[in-house]
Amino acid sequence: MDSDEDMETFEVDSGNESSSDDIGFNIEDQNQNPKDRQNDIEEFVFNVLSTEEIVQHMIDCIKEVNIIVEIPATTTRILLNHFKWDKEKLMERYYDGDQEQLFAEARVINPLASRSSQQPSTSSSMSSKAKVSRRCPPNSEECEICFTLIPSNLMTGLECNHRFCTQCWCEYLTTKIMAEGMGQTIACAAHGCNILVDDATVMRLVRDPKVRLKYQHLITNSFVECNRLLRWCPSPDCNNAVKVQHVEAHPVTCKCGHRFCFACGENWHDPVRCSLLKRWIKKCDDDSETSNWIAANTKECPKCNVTIEKDGGCNHMVCKNQSCKTEFCWVCLGSWEPHGSSWYSCNRFNEEEAKEARGAQERSRAALQRYLFYCNRYMNHMQSLKFENKLYASVKEKMEEMQHHCMSWIEVQFLKKAVDILCQCRQTLMYTYVFAYYLRKNNQSTIFEDNQRDLEAATEKLSEYLERDITNENLANIKQQVQDKYRYCDLRRKKLLEHVHEGYEKESWEYMD
Amino acid sequence: MANIAAQRIKREFKEVIKSEEVAKCAIKLELIDDNYSELKGEIAGPPDTPYEGGNFVLEIKVPETYPFNPPKVKFLTKIWHPNISSVTGAICLDILKDQWAAAMTLRTVLLSLQALMAAAEPDDPQDAVVAKQYKENPEMFNSTARHWTNVYAGGPNKNPDFDQKIQRLTDMGVMSHDARVALSTYNWELERATEAIFT
Repeated sequence: MDSDEDMETFEVDSGNESSSDDIGFNIEDQNQNPKDRQNDIEEFVFNVLSTEEIVQHMIDCIKEVNIIVEIPATTTRILLNHFKWDKEKLMERYYDGDQEQLFAEARVINPLASRSSQQPSTSSSMSSKAKVSRRCPPNSEECEICFTLIPSNLMTGLECNHRFCTQCWCEYLTTKIMAEGMGQTIACAAHGCNILVDDATVMRLVRDPKVRLKYQHLITNSFVECNRLLRWCPSPDCNNAVKVQHVEAHPVTCKCGHRFCFACGENWHDPVRCSLLKRWIKKCDDDSETSNWIAANTKECPKCNVTIEKDGGCNHMVCKNQSCKTEFCWVCLGSWEPHGSSWYSCNRFNEEEAKEARGAQERSRAALQRYLFYCNRYMNHMQSLKFENKLYASVKEKMEEMQHHCMSWIEVQFLKKAVDILCQCRQTLMYTYVFAYYLRKNNQSTIFEDNQRDLEAATEKLSEYLERDITNENLANIKQQVQDKYRYCDLRRKKLLEHVHEGYEKESWEYMD
Repeated sequence: MANIAAQRIKREFKEVIKSEEVAKCAIKLELIDDNYSELKGEIAGPPDTPYEGGNFVLEIKVPETYPFNPPKVKFLTKIWHPNISSVTGAICLDILKDQWAAAMTLRTVLLSLQALMAAAEPDDPQDAVVAKQYKENPEMFNSTARHWTNVYAGGPNKNPDFDQKIQRLTDMGVMSHDARVALSTYNWELERATEAIFT
């Protein structure tokens, strides 16, 4: 029943998704190889939920389980949360295992077993079970938190029968929610009691709207975070979450327009896989690359250890550190004195040692060069992508200008489409460099690199076309060129991805460690 | 100070004064200021422990959010115990941290501390040096703790051997407390303690 709904919503969503890339070019899409088209979108069902819809979805999940297990909704929520909102797992444990143990693990009182015995205490009449202080007059109890005598009808507690006055409960819950940021895991206020406070109780006892709102946020957040099939849209200030039917590294597009990988939450990163991308990002964030550069390009003063980059001149070094001023030989790092006047050569040099040192430095330098090669290209495309807004604006201007050159609105839409494709190509190219960095050389990797080179050249060409000035004379010509180029780019991009995916299937990719 | 907190402390204070533990002189509680935000506690060292016969003074600070957050408690009297810092008096006890419950009181805190003195938890130490000695050399630990109780908490058991070693160091110009710490740390080996102090 749930899945039917999802199917419907998905159809609406997929419409949204494709509406961004083409207006007026549907004919062209239909002409494309249907297999290509499928590869790009595939049958991946997802659904964007707003905050309200998330809450509704949570309620639906609870109801769905409730229909079957017939326990209070508040208990069901705690149980579901205990199983990270995996309904099947809950059902399995509920019907196959030891129920008492299940309730204990989830930190709730078994509602079925306790219902008869605790009925009296939940009504407002005084229960003989509740702890009554000796000095208490009838119909009042002493609250163990504020130590005051409170009329019994103002005392309350959970199924565990630890009763406190409503004001203390409110204070207690407020502290837990506001100061400690606890939501789903607030326990009873009694010492050593780990029974969880359910959401209905919290909402009944807490009146302050600010605290209630925070509590609801915490609950929703924990619902999304521990639910495998949900992920918050990572875009800043976006409060939507994406819901899927099964977890897979697949692009999803939020209603805010942000497109990301459902499995890892990063921007959609085809062709590279989540695990490699994660390694790459860590590597780029890591300071180790800086030290790598320092190791490859600098030496240290033998006396004061200041780091020196030599960018010219002879081997006679004088340390610039004012308190050091050591004179030494750049080649052997020994004191300069015995070198005399041999400024450009050093013969005080143990051959073996020198070879080793040079070898080590070269290896270090080669690894660094390799990283920098891929990193620069990756960064370059990322940078260009960031300028896409500027490009969209300038293209919009051009489109208006062209409409003054007696072209219709529909006739100028090719420019926007060209920028869309340019951005897609840049994004794909960006991640091909991550993929390539970890790729070990073999026949397939050579083909991949050829594909990459070809796509890159075509993409740069397209970018260049979009920068050109448009005049009355060259208008028709430029339109033709741009359209040809973006079709080619799009095609090459798909071919490249196809080839990589094929390689994944045939396991023809080998990686560096 | 929040209403509940002051009210609670007022009530708790009365209750502790009347409690049987106070009658037996096991615990004591005094107000420091008029608004119930700071108190002084005292615990008698539990019998059959190295702390027996000593009197341990505690600083108790009551936060605004009491009793929903625990009181801040530390030892003012220097003590040799795995869960209490020999330097600052800070206490490592779960109920003063995440296991605090609003229904606990200053009386239960004092009694819990007394219980902690009787049964240390060396696997969750505050003072690693003390904990190591407690586990590796319990006899040495006991006599060191007894000595500290004698010197700082007014315990009855003097240890002439230890006093003599401290005297040797104070003769060299070392402060007696520094000497005691160094000697306690190095299992009362005079040479190693001397070395530690002078390097």
